[in-house]
Amino acid sequence: MLYRDVCIVGAGPAGLAAAIEAGKAGASVLLVDLNMRPGGQLFKQIHKFFGSSAHHSGTRGCTIGRQLLKEALDSGVEIWLQSTVIGFFPGNKIGIERGADHTEKQIVTVTAKKVIIATGATENAIRFEGWTAPGVMGAGAAQTMINVNHVRPGNKVVMLGSGNVGLIVSYQLMQAGCEVAALVEAAPKIGGYAVHAAKIRRAGVPILLRHTIVAAVKDPDGCVCGCNIAAVDDHFRPVPGTEETIDCDTITIAAGLKPTMDLVKLAGCALTFNPAFGGYVPLHSRRMETSRAGFFVAGDTTGVEEANTALEEGRIAGISAAEDLGLLSSREAGLMRGEIWTRLDSLRFGPFGLRRKTEKERILQAFESEIGTPQALS
Amino acid sequence: MKQEYDAIVIGAGAIGTSVAYHLARAGYQTAVLDRGDIASGSSSHCDAVALICDKLPGIDTKMGQASIDYFGELARTFDYDFEYCPKGCLYICETQPEFDAAENYCRKQQADGYAMRMIGHDELCAMEPHIAKDLTGALFTPESGSVAVSPYKLCFAFVEEGKKYGLESYTYCTIQKINLDPDTNAVRSLETNYGTFHTKRIINCAGAWASFVGRMTGLDIPIEPRKGTNLVSEQTGRLCNHKILEYGYMLSKFDSIHFKRNVSRLVEEQNIAFNLEYTNACNLLVGGNRLFRGYDTRTEIETMRAICERAVRFYPELADIKCIRAYSGVRPFVRDHLPIVSDVDSIPGYYIAAGHEGDGICFSPITGKFMEQIISGKPTDFDISRLDFARFSSGAAAKGA
Repeated sequence: MLYRDVCIVGAGPAGLAAAIEAGKAGASVLLVDLNMRPGGQLFKQIHKFFGSSAHHSGTRGCTIGRQLLKEALDSGVEIWLQSTVIGFFPGNKIGIERGADHTEKQIVTVTAKKVIIATGATENAIRFEGWTAPGVMGAGAAQTMINVNHVRPGNKVVMLGSGNVGLIVSYQLMQAGCEVAALVEAAPKIGGYAVHAAKIRRAGVPILLRHTIVAAVKDPDGCVCGCNIAAVDDHFRPVPGTEETIDCDTITIAAGLKPTMDLVKLAGCALTFNPAFGGYVPLHSRRMETSRAGFFVAGDTTGVEEANTALEEGRIAGISAAEDLGLLSSREAGLMRGEIWTRLDSLRFGPFGLRRKTEKERILQAFESEIGTPQALS
Repeated sequence: MKQEYDAIVIGAGAIGTSVAYHLARAGYQTAVLDRGDIASGSSSHCDAVALICDKLPGIDTKMGQASIDYFGELARTFDYDFEYCPKGCLYICETQPEFDAAENYCRKQQADGYAMRMIGHDELCAMEPHIAKDLTGALFTPESGSVAVSPYKLCFAFVEEGKKYGLESYTYCTIQKINLDPDTNAVRSLETNYGTFHTKRIINCAGAWASFVGRMTGLDIPIEPRKGTNLVSEQTGRLCNHKILEYGYMLSKFDSIHFKRNVSRLVEEQNIAFNLEYTNACNLLVGGNRLFRGYDTRTEIETMRAICERAVRFYPELADIKCIRAYSGVRPFVRDHLPIVSDVDSIPGYYIAAGHEGDGICFSPITGKFMEQIISGKPTDFDISRLDFARFSSGAAAKGA
């Protein structure tokens, strides 16, 4: 049996930041991630960040990832890759499946005093005829293929969804040498930032608003060889007679994300439904602790946002875990958290940000009124 | 919602729903209550077979066989499909001493007229091509004494079929108080979050939680929760052709029998008895164990490991099949391993049908039938006086009789 002060699940920006803070405070930290390399989504973000200089503006996501990783390793954090947490068990035990897919896997039991769940988010799917055919994939999956694995998913792509992910990935697919035949959006206006939309428009990609994909066209092998689209009415129903076929071998879906809640649910944390944050999210305090004492959350798991808020929440979770371990005084931890909350407020600003700030406040208040003090399980 | 019922059944697991169905069918205005949903307790956290070959010779086996026969009749007459599937059973013997013990058991059961027989190593390997090749043999019970059902569908089947006779069900129903007549001590009413129900009869079918219901009227019902865990595999090909159990299962079930298996400390500590079955959905259910952990039904990783270790010993190919899920539940344990199917002398109108540790699914049809016979004042199909609640007040169970 292995003993660690803190076990963190998910080595994205939230998990890395939590590991750095807990590690710097002197905790023994195990960071577990199922991917082949740490960094989560950061390493596929080859574009530069927006925002204030306090938040890495002008820096590419992958660079931030490398900095965080170095800082974590310098803080003595132990990282297990290609490892999956399979469950939380009585006695603060965590079951971890360790080992690459092509090697002998091993189930290791680790006892940890504190757990931080930073498992990020999962892409939403949109169902249409043929949506499970080879060639249909999430926009995030396509982005991983080109930016992390350096594999082109196909040659000619139709993108569904004009949020920032749809816009940015369309542009990156072009950079990788794909042709983006069209970007299809059911809403009457573009969802993401105008600056991203302008980039792909300038490159000649048609953005078809008030349209949707009705079917993937399949070749004799069952793979995607085209895409049937149609105009939609005010209730997003396809308008008969407007169908047309676009030649393509890849359809990517950028229909938003939902928090990855599997471990939060396994841990038995109280949840709340919040559409602004993508679905069910754990109730949590300003210390990022859930209804279950000793279980903290951070990042997209608490509601889909972006890398900077994930980082800041991760820091809070790491600080709070260290505080509960007696490695930071309440005063120190409180001051550190206060500064971070100020930065979080500045991140949750503007038309999109203010809504997230309001919703975050709603979740924090619900925690206070419904939970108050987290409950311990043996 | 009615205010008055002829009978109110507490607990909507396999036993409670069967009792409720049988009472409704006999013409009683009946309601079944549960603090959760139908089949939300032990009946959805168990495995899915009804056997005679895991029963002690005598009344235990007699009830098992009667219930298994009755399952066939219910499957034929019910509109609701509860996935009744006759499926032979193999009790595998790892060693010669186990084989000898099984043979001795088999002879007793054969003498009582039950269909089962011993098979040797070669026949076992022919019947189960994927089984380990170093086993001594097995006790084989044909389909007449071994059937599979879907335990939760069984509960819903009893409720849905009961509705045809006016059965009503109240789920997420908490009982606040059970009122007895101040003069006669007879059952009068139940106060619940649905309001007050007037009734002359309540049947405590709360399984592992029956003692809580008992305490509400000052009854000491000696039923304790005994935890069990099962693993679920990914969907896979047909690894086994029968319900498979190790003969050591009997030893862990009836802990009065002392028999030392050649197993690791982990398997011993976790009280593991391997069993395996295939489901309609092509997953495998792999079990199991019996542990006293109070009402804590969280799955323990040591239990999972120990089950895997023991399972791979009997079916080596299981090592390459993924486990996708594990679940734990509690069985209602009674010291003498016999259920309580009985009226209660001190409280007229109070009945108990509970304590069927590991046999609740198997015994549910016959228990429902017996309870209706008891309540109606009819003779039961055969003598079940050993299941009387009064056996505890006489101190008989304490002496281990």
